[in-house]
Amino acid sequence: MNAKGFFTDTTVCIGCKACEVACKEWNQLPDDGMFFTGMSYDNTVDLGASTWRHVEFVERPVPLAGQETAQGNFSWLLMSDVCKHCQRAGCLENCPTGAIVRTEFDSVYVQPDVCNGCGYCIVGCPFGVIDRREGDGRAWKCTLCYDRLKDDMTPACAKACPTESIQFGDLDELKDRARTRVDQLHQRGMSEAYLYGVDADNQPGTEGLNAFFLLVDRPEVYNLPPDPVVPTKKVGQAWLSMAAAVLGMALAAAGAVVSSAGRRRQ
Amino acid sequence: MTGHGPRSGRGRGVAPDDGRNIDPTMGILQGEGSDQRVPDDRARAEGAAPFAVWKTAPSRKGQAGGSAAPEPTYYGRPVLKQPVWIWAVPAYFFSGGVAGAAAVLGAAAQVSGREELDGLITRCRWTAAIGSAIGTGLLIHDLGRPERFLNMLRVFRPSSPLNVGSWVLAAAGPLTASSAILSGAGGGAGAVGDAAGYAGGAVGLPLAGYTAVLVSSTAVPVWSEIRRSLPALFVASAVTGAASFLQLLKLNRREESIVRRFAVAGAAADLAAGLAVDRSGGRVDGVGSALHEGLAGSFLRAAKTLTAGSLAINVIPGRARWKRMAAGLLGALGSAATKFGVFYAGQASARDPHATFLQQRAGYGAAEVTRRSAVTGPEGRATR
Repeated sequence: MNAKGFFTDTTVCIGCKACEVACKEWNQLPDDGMFFTGMSYDNTVDLGASTWRHVEFVERPVPLAGQETAQGNFSWLLMSDVCKHCQRAGCLENCPTGAIVRTEFDSVYVQPDVCNGCGYCIVGCPFGVIDRREGDGRAWKCTLCYDRLKDDMTPACAKACPTESIQFGDLDELKDRARTRVDQLHQRGMSEAYLYGVDADNQPGTEGLNAFFLLVDRPEVYNLPPDPVVPTKKVGQAWLSMAAAVLGMALAAAGAVVSSAGRRRQ
Repeated sequence: MTGHGPRSGRGRGVAPDDGRNIDPTMGILQGEGSDQRVPDDRARAEGAAPFAVWKTAPSRKGQAGGSAAPEPTYYGRPVLKQPVWIWAVPAYFFSGGVAGAAAVLGAAAQVSGREELDGLITRCRWTAAIGSAIGTGLLIHDLGRPERFLNMLRVFRPSSPLNVGSWVLAAAGPLTASSAILSGAGGGAGAVGDAAGYAGGAVGLPLAGYTAVLVSSTAVPVWSEIRRSLPALFVASAVTGAASFLQLLKLNRREESIVRRFAVAGAAADLAAGLAVDRSGGRVDGVGSALHEGLAGSFLRAAKTLTAGSLAINVIPGRARWKRMAAGLLGALGSAATKFGVFYAGQASARDPHATFLQQRAGYGAAEVTRRSAVTGPEGRATR
């Protein structure tokens, strides 16, 4: 089976939230409460246990080539965020039960009948995607519509996207398409365009994202980390420090016993 | 693979107003997310945002986002999810640490082969056994699905410190318990108890330290920043905790002296490692502040004061009973405060988007362990 993924081109996103709705409908996710945030048109706030697509609305006081608004110095950045299905996934590598697995589509999937809700995946994710559902006790995130892929169908969000901002397909083909798109945008004068997480060279900390993005501003603006890293890449240093520390403890214990002289047992 | 295909029994008895607006007579719940229960208190949250509403025009200069802002964030929202762990987790860090260090001291006393230390060996073994048992209970209590705690031992996954730690704890529990029950027994049973005591001491080493690795192997900025110094702090704090607890128990003169020496070594290392943690955390402005501010700062300041107090009392010559009691009490509280402080520092750090951004822009994201940092613009990478 070929590796599948998403290429999310933020330059054509119109902020309709059809992806959010399609995701909730298909996966039969409960709502997250209805409230007003004051954060532009974003009342979804973030990805979470029951929100697997999230459209961000950034209002910038700077112009963007190809975008004309009634206000002069102003531009919209719209982006549909999703689980990145990292090549080196922090959630998967931290999962102690083996509940999180890599599927035949190269996506990262949480098996709900195995997860025991330890919460270690949540601190392992450098993107703040996966979360535990209160009242349910288990961790949840985007499945890349595993059930739909099984039947050769496109994930609900990509199917519903009216502007092809969310593109689904074979990863190799998506990468070619994305690189062509960046060249095209550069020729048209949108020199800010670049790809976020397209491959291991682009984002060494995760060794590439199966759901990558075309952005036109710094990652921070989209609430994305600038140099994310799977925690496992650094854990060796902690294990070494621990080994040294416990050796010290053993010596301290032996020293405390030996230094207080006494009679030996027969 | 599970979670695919029709599942029998789904959708039965689901109320039509469960938050999904699906009438069970019209449609069935069998989507990937249909397992999610809708909490009763969710309805009460409607209409009110569970956080402060954004009150200024987002497009104003210096506000929310865009390259115009000097340090842009997305409406100040966190990048990361906050750890969902509750008080039981730092409490386990404490009890597991005490259990591990006590098992190690018990094994060391056993090696010496001195008859007069039999009382200390027994007390160490019981401390290790009870600490492991309480720790296991706390860990299970923290799970979202406690009835599935045995899934921790479903696989062996060295990449997950929590999985490795679960195996360590699974070994430590029976070993320390059997050594405790068989302490003082003669003949064959005594020999089995002694063997369990040695084995318990061996697993006590990682038991006292792996929780520092567990905490470091995360995306939480302050926890990952202190990954080289935290193990020393956690192990030293485990020694302080175990020795302090033993000081509160009845011991003979020789044993008192051993435990006091162990406590002095632990507290001195504890204070030194605390400084090392502050230094490594302070490498990036805006990351280490989590160790000094708010609840975490209060806990860690209290921990240093209590540990220093315990150390001071223990180095004063003389063996008055009040001294042992005071030093033991201060040391045990200090050890617990260290674990709670580090825990709450991580909570605060995960809430702060700037901590993540500053750490990674300073070259301490992936760049530290990979040759190059990530692409963050048409021509640029996160760091040079």
